Amino acid sequence: MALITEEPQQAGREPLPELLIVDTDVHVHESPGALEPYCDMPWRVALDNIRDAREWYLDIPAFSPGVSDGSYQAKFPTAHEGARMVWDQDQMRAELDEIHTDLAVLFPDHLLKLPVLTQTDYASALARAYNAWLVDQWTSVEKGLLGTIIACPHDPQDAAREIEKYAKHPEIVGVYLPCAGLDPLWGDRKYDPIWEAAEAADLAVLLHSVTVTHPVFPFNNHGFDTELGRHACSHTFSIMANIVHMITTGVVVRYPKLRIAVTEAGVSWMPFLVNRLDKEYLERRRDVPFLEERPSHYLKQFYVATQPIEEPEDLTDVAKMIDLYDGWDTTMFASDWPHHDFDHPMKVDQIPMTDEQRRNIFGDNALRLLKIDAQGRRLNL
Amino acid sequence: MSDDAPSHTDHVVGALEDFPEGSHRVVEIAGRQVGIFNIGGELHGLPNVCPHQTGPVCEGKIVTGSLRSTKESGWRAEWVHDGEVIVCPWHGLEYHVPTGQCMAFPHIRLRRYDVLVEDGEVVVRIKAPKRRRSPARA
Repeated sequence: MALITEEPQQAGREPLPELLIVDTDVHVHESPGALEPYCDMPWRVALDNIRDAREWYLDIPAFSPGVSDGSYQAKFPTAHEGARMVWDQDQMRAELDEIHTDLAVLFPDHLLKLPVLTQTDYASALARAYNAWLVDQWTSVEKGLLGTIIACPHDPQDAAREIEKYAKHPEIVGVYLPCAGLDPLWGDRKYDPIWEAAEAADLAVLLHSVTVTHPVFPFNNHGFDTELGRHACSHTFSIMANIVHMITTGVVVRYPKLRIAVTEAGVSWMPFLVNRLDKEYLERRRDVPFLEERPSHYLKQFYVATQPIEEPEDLTDVAKMIDLYDGWDTTMFASDWPHHDFDHPMKVDQIPMTDEQRRNIFGDNALRLLKIDAQGRRLNL
Repeated sequence: MSDDAPSHTDHVVGALEDFPEGSHRVVEIAGRQVGIFNIGGELHGLPNVCPHQTGPVCEGKIVTGSLRSTKESGWRAEWVHDGEVIVCPWHGLEYHVPTGQCMAFPHIRLRRYDVLVEDGEVVVRIKAPKRRRSPARA
């Protein structure tokens, strides 16, 4: 970990409050009671039935089941605020102002674990309710709060209908692909309707995982004694597994206009994956005969959100890692506010980079991914 | 600064009864925030800035202990520094209040302010910055 100075910005640069910052991973807090009025019957009855259920961090039975976050180990007292939540627009705007975020891309809290629900119709009803609640209660171009609608993996046809429904919504800038507990991985042929719809809507798709202990890879993390082990691996392995599958099943060539981003995995695995996939490709090209270029060619087109940004002693190492995947045009700042491991932009700002790279990382790359202007207005309507 | 400039300045931050044993709170002194801790009747002062990402480290709601596991303990976890550890609310970095030592990174230690009691009042002593020597003139 590198020590900070009180004035981290380099001389002559605009300070962070004056820099355009697009924060590509921010979480709203949804509860069963909040979604209930937006939910179709009969599932609305079930939400009403658990509206007063005790809420743990990203864990409500029958809503976001399955635990991790230290629930498998001894719990000692701490002041680490591990369960921060944001309940409404005004709270969000005020808190994002504190970390200098101008435009924020919104993701859910509990529904990060949507894939672990076992009932297809319930899961898709929750996704529809969340999407309706999000645009009704949260999104606002004026306030810089931009939404991503959930694509329910249980029912790709219904997810495609939702994408079509919100395709022209001025406050929706992407499609969120939940990854926690997902089986099969994104890339499976069953999800093709989602890619078709997203490409047609000209909406980016953004993968987001979360740690949970669940039977499917890489969430079968019960072998770890610690949350450190589970959290370090599950997020990152999930993102890696999904995008490997999207490349090796040919999503990237079958939907060449699809813009794909990954969140909450940091960046340091990218150099590994770029090199590993190309190495495998040398021997196993027959497995992926549809690829016209080395896997790294496609992988380098994925957009990568920074959080949790690696913090080596020498932050030049992070710049080197971004170099290694040619990532200065695809890497985007993310805070993950308000979660326990959020990044303040000052840390990313300490990475040695040129002024142009800095503007790209903090704002311009996200504008390009989302096809919006610096005020958050969609450019593809 | 003149040659006879004081080596420190003293700042009264309240009466001793405002800082009872077991309490901690943040006071503002000349634009800087200082966390004042009363641990076992001894007062400690730390800057309210975590060196990690500038989090308000002294605003952690409780002062607790922590875990340590060493070869000497057979790698079994031990509860240490009970009532002496502040945890940054932002990311959970732990600091041992009496020494300012970060428990995760040995090379990080918070600066400490002297906190005195004079006539029933709590006084924080801020040391003047060290003067740089002027380069020798030819």
